[in-house]
Amino acid sequence: MKFYVCIKMVPDVNAPLQIKDGQLIQDSDRQILNAYDASAVEEALVLKEKHGGEVEVVCIGSGKASETIRKALAMGADKATHIVTTGDKNYDSGSYAHILAKFFEDKEYDVLSLGKQSQDTDAGLTGSMVAELLNLPYATNAVGLEAEDGKLIVKRQGDTGQEMIELPTPCAVTCSNDMNEPRIPNLKGIMASKRKPMEQVELSSLGLSEDKLVPKTTVLGYEEKPGREPGKKFKGEAEEIAREVAQLLDTEANVI
Amino acid sequence: MSTLLTHIAIADGKIKRSSLEVLSHCKQLADQGGHSVEAVVVDANASSFVEGIQKYGATKVYAVEDPIFKNHMNTPLLKALAKVMETAKPSVFAFASTEGTKDILGALAANQGAAVLPDVSSFELIDGGVKAKRPVMAAKIISNTEAKSDTVIVSVRSGSYDLVENEVSAEVINVDFSMDDGELKATLKEIISASGDTIDLNEAESIVAAGRGVKDEDGKKLISELAEVLNAGIGASRALTEAGVYDPSLQIGQTGKVVSPQLYIAVGISGAIQHVAGMANSKVIVAINKDPDAPIFEIADYGIVGDLYQVLPPFIEELKKIKS
Repeated sequence: MKFYVCIKMVPDVNAPLQIKDGQLIQDSDRQILNAYDASAVEEALVLKEKHGGEVEVVCIGSGKASETIRKALAMGADKATHIVTTGDKNYDSGSYAHILAKFFEDKEYDVLSLGKQSQDTDAGLTGSMVAELLNLPYATNAVGLEAEDGKLIVKRQGDTGQEMIELPTPCAVTCSNDMNEPRIPNLKGIMASKRKPMEQVELSSLGLSEDKLVPKTTVLGYEEKPGREPGKKFKGEAEEIAREVAQLLDTEANVI
Repeated sequence: MSTLLTHIAIADGKIKRSSLEVLSHCKQLADQGGHSVEAVVVDANASSFVEGIQKYGATKVYAVEDPIFKNHMNTPLLKALAKVMETAKPSVFAFASTEGTKDILGALAANQGAAVLPDVSSFELIDGGVKAKRPVMAAKIISNTEAKSDTVIVSVRSGSYDLVENEVSAEVINVDFSMDDGELKATLKEIISASGDTIDLNEAESIVAAGRGVKDEDGKKLISELAEVLNAGIGASRALTEAGVYDPSLQIGQTGKVVSPQLYIAVGISGAIQHVAGMANSKVIVAINKDPDAPIFEIADYGIVGDLYQVLPPFIEELKKIKS
């Protein structure tokens, strides 16, 4: 199967952050491969190893995103396309979806795969948007993938259980990080990644009209979460504190 | 005057509370601004839910009824919702943020050329659109985001708004729907359900959540006993769902469910940011952990430092006494 995996460079949510004048400031400007996308890459590699095929990654981002792309190539992806943006456009999910849809318009593939959301914004929109724009059958929040008779079998996590869905190809799927543990690139993979083809594509060459890319949503600023009152901590004899807290839940917190 | 449309989600033959929370909020916004508040329900028995919907103030209910909606599938749901949007022409279309919603939200917005604000914790109307608060960066901070468009689609985290009853008599519009197999594209082969009688975490008043500290069957048994006393839903951290100790649908956190019950008891959960992202908006948080430095204690209202195997038996016993 031919897989295209869309990947994104995101800030590390584990790095300390502050808000200054409504702007988000992180101590480290470390950018990483979105964890959900890493799972999408991993699953595509597993299916390629099992059934043959090709895995190509596509990334929209500034020049710096090439590091993120190298990571996916080092994991084992065969080649990459970097759709270069200037980084000052504040694109939203809709903008990204339109760029991807335009890129894929004349491509041939079996599966277009993406992480189910970005770990910085948690929006989770781009995958189903791209599928709709390309009129592809799709499934979101996949926790398992299998290829069978030219079809993609998706196990997805729904509200109350898991759904097994059969998709004809070409199709789109968004991946949860619960489906696998993405491999850590080894030295051989890292060396090989440097020789793998990475094509750079300018937005203008995709023939995109700017008005499609104007974001419909705008981040006005950031603020702290309303803080929680510091709570009470109970230490000591287990039986005693257990009973005490049980009583407090009834008499003080009123939640029993 | 514009129209605020609310999607009413159905699970196990019942209206999801989180949808009624969203409808309650839309009703309030509509009253303030002189707008009309309408609802849409898409289900195999859609019309049977009208009574429950008009109790919360929707003056018009679009019912799309077809056997195909017995189980969630994105293609027919999208077709139904797009059809209703084209008739209702809402300026705001609001959803409860369920997995079913997440599955179609982006596609619906792309199909309708609408702006979309997913997974918000609150929203209000502004001139020409909607302004919302969205938890971002693993829910560590809030992003104030606005969407300007003739139609704005919004999905709201459960527990963000209170239920407010406001009985009206709704006009019911039965929407014709048909779909042939050729249009269906994807095939739903099978549903692997968690046991049928578990309490829906998005709806639960109380949740008992198990983490890595719950090591064995004895630990699981204590979790079940505690949940039973409190009539609570059982959730789990990613560590335990990944290890197969609990069903994946019970995972709470950035990757799993985002919950906000009245009472959340975190048992043997250290409180990694990805877990906290899914439960930090709970009203009262109790943490039981033997590590006094576990980050969960920073957000817990009541922190019990101790071994869960020693703490839970007397805790359960005391709660039983209180309950009786």
